[in-house]
Amino acid sequence: MKVGYLCTFTPKELIHSAGFLPYRVFATDRPINLASAYIQSYSCSQARGSLECALQDDFHAFVFTRCCDTLMRLTDIFEFAGKRVCNIEFPTKIGNVEYYVQELRDFIEVLREWGGEVNFERLMESLKLYRKLEEKLKQLFALSPDYETAIKVQQIEVRDAIKLVDEKIRTAKKEKEKPKVLITGSVCPYPKVYEIFREAGFSVKDDLCTGSRFFEYSYPDFEPVDLDSALKFIAEKYMNKSPCPTKHYEKDKRFEYVLKLAEDCDAVVFLLVKFCDPHFFDYPQLRERLEGMGKKVALIELEFPVVSFEQIRTRVEALREVI
Amino acid sequence: MKRLRISEKMRELMTGYYMAGMQAECNAWITSGAPVELLHALDVYPVYPENHGALIGATKLGGYYCEFAEKNGFSRDLCSYARCDIGCVFAGTSPIGGLPKPTFLFACNNICNTVVKWYEVLSRIFKVPLFVLDMPFIRKELKDCHLRYVEEQLYDFISFAERVTDRKLDDAKLRDVVLKSMESVELYSECLRTAANKPSPMTCFDAFVNMAPIVCLRGTDHAISFYKEMKQELDERVKEGVSAIEREEIRLLWDNIPVWYRLKWFGEFFEKRNACLVADTYTNAWSGFKVSRGEDVLSGMAEVYTVSYLNIGMEMTAEIINKLIDLYDVDGVVMHSNRSCKPYSFGQYEIQKKLSVPSVIIEADMVDERVFSEAQVVTRLEAFLEML
Repeated sequence: MKVGYLCTFTPKELIHSAGFLPYRVFATDRPINLASAYIQSYSCSQARGSLECALQDDFHAFVFTRCCDTLMRLTDIFEFAGKRVCNIEFPTKIGNVEYYVQELRDFIEVLREWGGEVNFERLMESLKLYRKLEEKLKQLFALSPDYETAIKVQQIEVRDAIKLVDEKIRTAKKEKEKPKVLITGSVCPYPKVYEIFREAGFSVKDDLCTGSRFFEYSYPDFEPVDLDSALKFIAEKYMNKSPCPTKHYEKDKRFEYVLKLAEDCDAVVFLLVKFCDPHFFDYPQLRERLEGMGKKVALIELEFPVVSFEQIRTRVEALREVI
Repeated sequence: MKRLRISEKMRELMTGYYMAGMQAECNAWITSGAPVELLHALDVYPVYPENHGALIGATKLGGYYCEFAEKNGFSRDLCSYARCDIGCVFAGTSPIGGLPKPTFLFACNNICNTVVKWYEVLSRIFKVPLFVLDMPFIRKELKDCHLRYVEEQLYDFISFAERVTDRKLDDAKLRDVVLKSMESVELYSECLRTAANKPSPMTCFDAFVNMAPIVCLRGTDHAISFYKEMKQELDERVKEGVSAIEREEIRLLWDNIPVWYRLKWFGEFFEKRNACLVADTYTNAWSGFKVSRGEDVLSGMAEVYTVSYLNIGMEMTAEIINKLIDLYDVDGVVMHSNRSCKPYSFGQYEIQKKLSVPSVIIEADMVDERVFSEAQVVTRLEAFLEML
């Protein structure tokens, strides 16, 4: 049974251990029709596209984390549309692990109400499997970033996902030295977009939650001994994941993270979904810092489903030419 | 429309408030839903960029100042309070000569997460510390862990502010400020409630114009004396049966932040059609900031500020609106779908279906007059009023 989620801060290990398939919901190629009756047109197309998906496909339930104002309201909207939902209050301000552990305890109760079964052994198994998947994805991306795979693994059983990534690693070839571009943004579930960068002569690196932000974690250095410490492990794991603009960090950790990622890149592309407030607030100041480092920077604004890949191509090719 | 005398006083009071800000030794820029009592207790002057945004909107200069932010890369799709305010920072001025440079920043996300990003931007521009008071979204129930989480942060905030200002928070003073805050909120709520009379002595436009003191001066004597006087004037009107508009035939409720640059236009539009917007959800939101009289000030504060109007689930929101519909006995609701305020606007389609009276949605923006489409708004509102 599929349990849909939208944000990479969702504790998918818990959903999985309860016997459900954590399924990341993205906008698809389907035009947005039904969703327009539920939410205004100035919501981002990731929200509208996901809602469209939820209204048309079969899901057991949906899990939300408060990431932005749109997602906050989307939980209720999904519920109003007749869906089973739960919102986990992942803190906006990164730091208080204890508080979040309590939220996770409550989430376990919700999973039980949904017919799931959570215990320590099963949770440890899921934690191990996802860690393995994350490490394999890191390996694959170090050879050659594969966005089609990174997106696909978020919608299939983790054991199959590991097998899939293993296969990809076997056939992947180390990318040749080429000018490198860092693509930063929220989601872009269309693999073709990344191909455009390659075809224009770039090698690609990313800071996206359909890319590395799905698998970049620094894991806590303790071994859980019971369910509670496993929850603490999850809380710390997610608080220490690659920083996201929807969260507030000490010492501007998010900016520092992107600037560091950009160090070995020639160009940076902000691949932003129209109406994505957290990213658009960061954009001007982050751009200024990146340009200060001598990087070529471009902004490409997207709406899903992407109607004109060729427009993106023109922008990317123009950027490639100035390097 | 019969203007309230008190609006003149409000102008004086707020001019004084802004002047005082220029001279304050230390100030904090604060979001409209944050517990300002803590600042007053520390003698830190509170600066309200949102109020500033509203003021700019009302002077019809929203678009002009937004452009300064847009020229610096800020998207036109971002909140127009944020955009015009950041724009003023770049412009180095505003209709009131700009806001004083902050000593520190205090953002509370019980109204939106946008303020966190907005204040991060400010923190980088001014290179001053920012404290984020993180409030969990209360979709269904307020849990103990939510309250503990918020309360701990209130203590963190006090340490933070004491460190930054090199001052010490005095418990007695905080208690005093909280009492004053409660009193002003009570008086303010009484003012709003006079609109339950028929005919209503005030419109929501009066409420919009006179809300600044409850936002900026809550917890001070100024707010208390202001709303006392406002209450007096409204009571007089009620006694004499004075109606706020010429002829009140239809009573309406407004939802969302006002369209600041069109207050007068909307006021006249409705009055011409004998419709009175007697109340609104926006100004009523501040009537909820009633810190309890309990022993522990901070835990009371944690609770009141966590369940603020924009930080609760849609079911509760619809319930509140239905209560307002009953209280003010309105015939319909005008919902402003505000491009600038996603948490206020998303969900309106669903809330609409839960309301006990008919409603209409109009699309606009609170400050950015460039996106206002008069013809569309007129068509929708006229059809709605005819239907009523």
